[in-house]
Amino acid sequence: MSLLIASLSFYLVVAATVVGAVIAVAARNIFHNVLGLALSLIGVAGLFLYLNSPFVALMQILIYVGAITIAICFAIMLSQPLYLPAPPRNPLKIQGAAFGAGLVFIFLGLLTRQTLWTPAAERVNDWSITTIGHYLLNQYVVIFELISLLLLVAMLGAIVTARGGRGSA
Amino acid sequence: MPALDPLFVLCAACVILPLLAFGGIMIFTWRRPFLSLGISLAASTACLIIAWYIFWQRWGDPTPLVLNVDWLVSDLVRVPFGFLLDPVSQLMLVLVATISFLIQIYSIGYMWGDPGFGRYYADLSLFAMAMLGLVISSGLLQLFICWELVGLASYLLIGFWYEKFSASEAGKKAFVVTRFGDIFFFMGLAILVIFYGSLDIAAINAAAVAQKMEPWLLTTCALLIFGGICGKSAQFPIHVWLPDAMEGPTPVSALLHSATMVAAGVYLLTRLFPFFAASPPAMTYILAVASLTYVLSSTVGMVARDIKQVWAYSTISQLAMMAMGLAAAGLAHGTLFAGYFHLTTHAGFKALLFLCAGAFIHHYGTNSFFMMSKGGARHLTIPMVTVTIGALALAGIFPFSGFFSKELILGNLWHLDNKLWVSIGLLGAFLTAYYTFRVIFVLLFPRPEDHPAWDKYHEPLAGGHGHGHGHEEEEAHGHGHGAGPFSGHAPEWAINLPLIILAGVTLVLGFLQGTLERFLLGESHPHEMNYLLLVLAVGLALAGIGLAWWDWGRKGASWEGFLSKVPALEHFFIQKWYMDHFWRWFLNAVIYNLFSKTFTYNDRRVVDGGVDAVALGCIGSGRFLSFLQTALLQLNLLFMVLVLAGVGIYLLMGR
Amino acid sequence: MPAFNQLHTYLYLAVILFCLGLYGVLSRRNLIAVLISVELMLNAASLNFMAFNRFLAPHPAVGQIVALFIMAVAAAEAAIALSIIVALYRKLKSINIEQANELRG
Repeated sequence: MSLLIASLSFYLVVAATVVGAVIAVAARNIFHNVLGLALSLIGVAGLFLYLNSPFVALMQILIYVGAITIAICFAIMLSQPLYLPAPPRNPLKIQGAAFGAGLVFIFLGLLTRQTLWTPAAERVNDWSITTIGHYLLNQYVVIFELISLLLLVAMLGAIVTARGGRGSA
Repeated sequence: MPALDPLFVLCAACVILPLLAFGGIMIFTWRRPFLSLGISLAASTACLIIAWYIFWQRWGDPTPLVLNVDWLVSDLVRVPFGFLLDPVSQLMLVLVATISFLIQIYSIGYMWGDPGFGRYYADLSLFAMAMLGLVISSGLLQLFICWELVGLASYLLIGFWYEKFSASEAGKKAFVVTRFGDIFFFMGLAILVIFYGSLDIAAINAAAVAQKMEPWLLTTCALLIFGGICGKSAQFPIHVWLPDAMEGPTPVSALLHSATMVAAGVYLLTRLFPFFAASPPAMTYILAVASLTYVLSSTVGMVARDIKQVWAYSTISQLAMMAMGLAAAGLAHGTLFAGYFHLTTHAGFKALLFLCAGAFIHHYGTNSFFMMSKGGARHLTIPMVTVTIGALALAGIFPFSGFFSKELILGNLWHLDNKLWVSIGLLGAFLTAYYTFRVIFVLLFPRPEDHPAWDKYHEPLAGGHGHGHGHEEEEAHGHGHGAGPFSGHAPEWAINLPLIILAGVTLVLGFLQGTLERFLLGESHPHEMNYLLLVLAVGLALAGIGLAWWDWGRKGASWEGFLSKVPALEHFFIQKWYMDHFWRWFLNAVIYNLFSKTFTYNDRRVVDGGVDAVALGCIGSGRFLSFLQTALLQLNLLFMVLVLAGVGIYLLMGR
Repeated sequence: MPAFNQLHTYLYLAVILFCLGLYGVLSRRNLIAVLISVELMLNAASLNFMAFNRFLAPHPAVGQIVALFIMAVAAAEAAIALSIIVALYRKLKSINIEQANELRG
């Protein structure tokens, strides 16, 4: 019974993910795109739950849905007025993009199917957040610090770029 | 590889030490005159010792010693790099090392206080290095490299006072004119490589002696190489650089004219003597050119008023005489001894003459020996005595060294069937004696103050071609005592010591004729005394001196040469046979108007045009291809994705 | 075995997400929409890491850490991209990437 519930909710999550992604890509209104993205991101967070990682799922919602999506909303508000009609689509471009994406889909699908995925011989079963914390501050501490540096630089760069470049007031 | 003979290490040291001195001075110490002097003198002393050591070590051993390292090796061509020690090179080694050492000593006095003292010694070291390297090279290409280095060093030294326009011009002239000869030299080398395949001196000589070379090849190469010799040894018609080279400091002239630079040409002729001797046409040509040069330079020497000019023309004539001696020996199946012996003795007395001239110039600040005479040159005892010794040697008077070597050369000429050559030689001997003693008598017996001749000679030198202009200022400038970083009076001994040594050499060297011949050839040929020739030669020399005495020395002498009876001829000689005019015309007419114009056109249209066409093609094709830059980012991305996916799929399908 | 316990489910999902994102990147003209599509692609990668972490990796903490890093990098990328969008809008009065063609040959 619980398996059935789990399966059903899993399909729900998958549907949310895919539908959200389709809306994010295909909807003409840019605001609908953002909402679709949020839906898709929440779906991915649900998938993370199924992958035994509640911590990362929470982070996904916190950072992606909570921060990045909102930042995109800000960008929308700062740039183009929403009431302007979107320019008509170019069917040739759509077809080309669909063809390219389809080709990549075939490639990746084939790759996924043909590869023989073998689990590691010896697997530890330690999913605790404590371990993640230990890893972050021991083995991966340099990367961790580099990431923080990257964020700092990105922030500065964003400020400089958005102000209109060097020299302007 | 056999065990390395220590002599070769010494040879290498002989070349490398002066080079190090040059580099060291130029890079580190050129601002510090005494340090530079020390470095240069140390290197030169070391070379002197090494050269004499090698000479002593190999005394009486005529077998050549060769050390070759293959340098450029191609399928058929092998260009060796190494040293060749045989009597010819050993004697020259000693000569060069000694003369350059003495001149470095002398220059202490002469160049004292010059702002470029350090640079001067660096250049001298470079000169010594190049010449020593030339002397002991085993291959012609190596010799050619050193040959060019000699040219470079002489350029640097002739144009040493480069602030002076005429000096820098003279340096350029020397460089370019000798280079003109070197073109032929290099062509000769190229033909040798192509058709014979080796540049090893010993091999070439051996092949020529064994008649393994085809005659046309031999003659062509000999003539072409002689073109280089013409340039270096100032033979007609490209001798014009040498009189101008007097713009350099006088010790440099001495070095240039005795053991280095000009001697390099005759040395090469000696070096390749068997090769040249195998080609009678080439030898005849050399004989003719040398004879013409001999007469030309002797006659010009008769009217020059600049003491250095006189010595310069005497150098040209003596070099011509060496070439004549060698050529005559080649034609008459003689040995190289006569010409080479004259090279040796000439190095001694010509260095002596120039150093004496330098002493006078240094003292009186003028180049005109008439003005020196007025200043009282006869009271400068040591230079006066030594210059007379040198002049006697140059005129070929017994018992000075020139006598012996000249007799040998005249003897060689005598053996030729055509007596024209020997008469030219005798005429030259007469003229040489005349113009040499013209200088001596003018110096010795100045006219009284009110003599009419002073009007003629008082004016500053205005020689045919502008050199001599401003010698006075130059000397005054060059020796601005106290202007340099160090002041005080030059050490007198530094000037006098080399004079005395060289005078001694001039006195003694002639009597070593037999010894040197044994050393050079391994055996001594008994010379049958040709009394007729002896009497003729000495008699003509004495006649020349007598005529000079009549014209310039005796109490009532008018101080007008016998040539002034024939003004046209005198003018012709004063204008140096119009050779400078000829070259000026040649440059204008042939080089500038013909070659330069053609090449300029070629440059503008063909070369530049080609480059422009390439550039325009690039621009055009860039314009054309820029349609690919659509600024449609997504299109580019799409193609990238398509290609990547296509390749990926292709690879997966293949599995 | 239920679908949510199979590696392939997640991998195919990630492929779908990735290709949808790619389609968006290739087809949309609005720069913000392109950015959204890129976020989708990043998520696909993140999902892949998590799936491998769940089913294959010797230690289950590593993949999660990588996913965290991806989020951080995505945040930085979003910040930069948004500032570029603002600057571009100020310059061109438009965020249509087809109009950002000053370098056209």
